Amino acid sequence: MPEQTVKLTNDVGLHARPAAVFSKASAEFTCDVKVEKDGNDANAKSIMSVLKLDVKGGDTVTLRTSGENEDVALTELVKVVESL
Amino acid sequence: MKELAGVAASAGSGVAPAWVQQNQELDIPAGKIDDAGAEVAALHAAIDDVTQELNDKSANAEGELAEVLDAQAMMAADPELLEGAESSIKEQSAPAARAIIDAGEKYASVLEASESEYMAARAEDIRDVCMRIARRVLGAPPSAVEAISEPVVIAAAELPPADVAGLDPKLIAGIATEQGSRTSHTAIVARSLGIPAAVGVRGLLAALGDASLLAVDGDAGVVYVDPDDDVRHELSSREEARRQRRGELAARVGDRATHTTDGQRIEIAANVGAAAELGAALEEGAEGVGLLRTELLYLERTEPPDEDEQLKLLTGFIEQLGDRRLVVRTFDFGADKPVPFLEQDPEENPALGVRGIRTAREHPELLDTQLRAVVRAAEAGGRLAVMAPMVATAEEAEWFVERAEAAGAREAGVELGAMVEVPAAVLVAGALAERLDFFSIGTNDLTQYLHAADRQQGALAYLQDPFSPALLAAVQKVCEAEGTWVGVCGEAAGDPAWAVVAVGLGVAELSMGAQSILEVKAAITALSLEECRAVAAAALRAPDAAAARRVATEALP
Repeated sequence: MPEQTVKLTNDVGLHARPAAVFSKASAEFTCDVKVEKDGNDANAKSIMSVLKLDVKGGDTVTLRTSGENEDVALTELVKVVESL
Repeated sequence: MKELAGVAASAGSGVAPAWVQQNQELDIPAGKIDDAGAEVAALHAAIDDVTQELNDKSANAEGELAEVLDAQAMMAADPELLEGAESSIKEQSAPAARAIIDAGEKYASVLEASESEYMAARAEDIRDVCMRIARRVLGAPPSAVEAISEPVVIAAAELPPADVAGLDPKLIAGIATEQGSRTSHTAIVARSLGIPAAVGVRGLLAALGDASLLAVDGDAGVVYVDPDDDVRHELSSREEARRQRRGELAARVGDRATHTTDGQRIEIAANVGAAAELGAALEEGAEGVGLLRTELLYLERTEPPDEDEQLKLLTGFIEQLGDRRLVVRTFDFGADKPVPFLEQDPEENPALGVRGIRTAREHPELLDTQLRAVVRAAEAGGRLAVMAPMVATAEEAEWFVERAEAAGAREAGVELGAMVEVPAAVLVAGALAERLDFFSIGTNDLTQYLHAADRQQGALAYLQDPFSPALLAAVQKVCEAEGTWVGVCGEAAGDPAWAVVAVGLGVAELSMGAQSILEVKAAITALSLEECRAVAAAALRAPDAAAARRVATEALP
């Protein structure tokens, strides 16, 4: 299960708009996508679950993918988080 | 009578029975359900409807409101929310409406505890979404606000975004909220719909008691609970004077195609990005659309919209426009407005970077899709024109024309043009005109580039004046190019004094925000082309922007 740690460089973190962009992007892959902050896990395809993590600007999260195309998905989604 | 002070959020005033937004209570049947399958199916159907409704509202909204509605649509369709609700239906035989509210509450209560104020606000978004789904399951109206059927003044702590997006100006005489500022959703939408509003009115709900009547003074930001006769009289006479001025303008110039007193046709059009804005602009007397911004369709997307989706957007506008012209600006994103589906390295100077037609040349397939949608809209009966942003050279214009012709633009009668916002385009306007049917001058960007002055930079505001000698000379030069008509779609077009100068310089079309249309129509209608030319000549001779503005303002009727 590939994983990568990313730091949120924007000011607001994973709030409404960035969370929506990130969840939409995750939902485009068939593999499972998890995002973890401080030991709490969220299903990246669920915006509610992502919001619940309360990720703020400057926080660090870990992305994990497992299943079909997991490596491609991880690379793409890290890019999405970096561009938020 | 009680008088409460708040923030003036939307002009005008209104007096009507108070309608208080209560915590929404729903009558959910108690007890257990028998047929879990039917209950799950009802939940799925309600979720589909609410998702669709929120997506539609998002498409018709702008800015942050559109973003929140988009996020709410995703919440409605959230896989984990659904899973939670389904399991309480199946395992505890809970009714669908109860199941979805409880499932949402699990998330809302966590967010509410967040130290981030912004995140805590999302808790209300989730509750609102779940309440909408529950109401749909039970066959109730989408929300209490959307069930209002008599004129009222709304009093609320704050209105949920989805309610704000569905407000009907015919039924809402005024809005007063305890929270919010001039830039909150409620304030922005109230202004665009012309509903008087005061926001940030502290103690509003506590002061209401069992008040029967509420008055909102949106000019002063004051709310009167049970207003006395003097207040009602003053507000109504002020409102009457305002309505008279607008009514008089509307009757004089609203429905008429604008001409100078000596018969020169000048098209007064609207700048729009969403269908709802067009409705408001047409009511103000817009004679067409001079700038349709298409970026909104692309921003926030991980995949660009396809041809059918773009055609659907255009068709929505054409249905309202009939035989009036729709000028579509091809996508203007890139370094300054990044989109998720394009890889673009950050640039040091986004305003001078790969954007507009420059982005199109790197991704011609995106432009081709958009051009084909425009051609199909024209084939379906629309009067279409299409223009490219950021054109700087004749070679770029030629390239754009070739792509448009390959998409069938000529056969479909689509006019082809370019935005004039780069100084180079002004200097080679003659060469561009040989290839194009029209120009549209974007005064905001052109002024910024002419003076090499960042328009976001407050200290350089004096270099952003549309009456500056350089901008006026640029407009004159563009109008001298032969064989093209010239429009203006920057903010300056909505200033009646500037509009008179532009007409005098040879501009044939002025495109602006809805609220400016009546005043500009009135100004152009009152003068002859000769008079406009004399004003323009005097403005060109003026030594500086302030003097040019004075000359033009004095000429107004």
